[in-house]
Amino acid sequence: MAKPNYKLWFKLHGYCSLPIWIIFCFVCITGTIAVVSHELTWLTNPNSRASNPEQLSAKPTAELVQIVESAYPTADINSVLAFESYLVNAVIFTDKDHPFAIAYVNQYTGEIQEVNNGITFINFMRSLHSWLLFPWHVNFSVGYYLVCFMALVMMGALVTGLVIYKKFWRSFLTPTLRFHQGKKTFITDLHKLSGVWSLWFLLLMSLTGLWYLVQAIYWHMDIEIEPEVPSVAIAKVTENNQAPAPEVTLQQAIDIVKQKHASFEPTYVMLPEHHRDSYKIMGRGDHVFYDEYAYSLAVDPGTGEVVHELTPENMNTLQTIAHIADPIHFGYIGGLWTKILWFFCGILISGMSITGFLIWNSRQKKVAQRVKTQINDEDTNLEGLNHVS
Amino acid sequence: MLANFITKHKFNLSGLVLILPFVFFYQSLTPEFPPMWDKRVLGPFEVTIMPYNLDQPYSHHGVNVKDFMLFFNQDQVQTIRQAYVNIGSSALPVSEFHKFHEGILHGSRHGKEVHALAPEVITKQDQLWLTIENWQGETFLTSWPIPDSITQ
Repeated sequence: MAKPNYKLWFKLHGYCSLPIWIIFCFVCITGTIAVVSHELTWLTNPNSRASNPEQLSAKPTAELVQIVESAYPTADINSVLAFESYLVNAVIFTDKDHPFAIAYVNQYTGEIQEVNNGITFINFMRSLHSWLLFPWHVNFSVGYYLVCFMALVMMGALVTGLVIYKKFWRSFLTPTLRFHQGKKTFITDLHKLSGVWSLWFLLLMSLTGLWYLVQAIYWHMDIEIEPEVPSVAIAKVTENNQAPAPEVTLQQAIDIVKQKHASFEPTYVMLPEHHRDSYKIMGRGDHVFYDEYAYSLAVDPGTGEVVHELTPENMNTLQTIAHIADPIHFGYIGGLWTKILWFFCGILISGMSITGFLIWNSRQKKVAQRVKTQINDEDTNLEGLNHVS
Repeated sequence: MLANFITKHKFNLSGLVLILPFVFFYQSLTPEFPPMWDKRVLGPFEVTIMPYNLDQPYSHHGVNVKDFMLFFNQDQVQTIRQAYVNIGSSALPVSEFHKFHEGILHGSRHGKEVHALAPEVITKQDQLWLTIENWQGETFLTSWPIPDSITQ
């Protein structure tokens, strides 16, 4: 087998990462923070904590809606989001003086702990990491493409890194980190060691990142990955010129979904936005690898009929990938413990972009020093020749 | 001098892109929208309308649409059974709107929005048509001329 041209592969390794190392590092750091953004919110904002000293069971979603409607009689509830059991539920609504508001409702006690009028730390970190806050032009964002491009760069750096690091697997068996042989040796060891130990993580991040790139292209080309929820029949006209109460309440709609899928837990419930709209009820089931919206059903408020149903059982390949990418990318596949593991791996790869740059920088300095010495030597030789002549 | 600087910092220059998130964050906190169009009265409804931007329509699920925000007099909005918006030479009949997911007014009492059905390119001949049906089955229709800033 022909030996690889290490010099060329080394150059390729540099081309993959060096030109964008600062952006790459930023994306890695923001991603690392985004992984634990729910926990940071819990730590920093007491109103976000779903304290449950009396060990009560969580109130049904419809009851949380009623609690907010009672507190804000002129409010229109849009949706309800549920997160981890230690975080409050978010009831999103509009009101006369709130064009957009999020009520933090403790799902155990029913207390409204905060009304947030704007950006949450969780959404901010996700947006900063995923599209660098670049604006969305309906179905694409330059920032989203830019971040997705990092997946290609990461994959390139991973493959070239494995080629140039001969017998890299030895780092698993005999990890080496030399502290007393100079700064350069330490940084090089750290770069290699981090790379080998986060190989699996780099692979997961680049593969899920490549999926996000494919997804971005699908969105941009207006090719749907998930079908649109069909409209439902509108209720008959009334004599009093007022909308009739829906035949099926929100809680009944959620119960219909639960009857179909016993393990279903709602995580995102959207109320109808017009009179041909349905209750859109999303949630998780007992599928470990799927995200919190793996079950997506729509229930007709007039008849109780399920008019749309997308679950892990009837998803096609692309839909399945779309629903398993996020838990893998953001590390919530196994709850808090995998988040902690992802957080540390995130720090490792953020650090690798810095150590990679420092290695290149020290090489440049060495080359510059060598050139300077060479020029000085040549000058000395020339002066010597002049003296002789 | 400049060439030396660029050579020395060639791998750091891409980091300048990271100034943009700060700019975009500021812009998101201070959004600017096109001006609202004149108020229209149709039956009991008083409506003002505002496009989200001055761009031409975009394709959404294979249908050309343009997004608008509509503001109603609060007490009457509850009587809307269904309301639709389209851009063209005439208003589409309600039965035609039923073929699409787009074009229907949605949102809350405090602000409605619509992905108005539109041609691929909006011209000076086009108008924006709003059709409202109340819960008693009465239909109301109004239209706005499209400002030159949007037409081609």
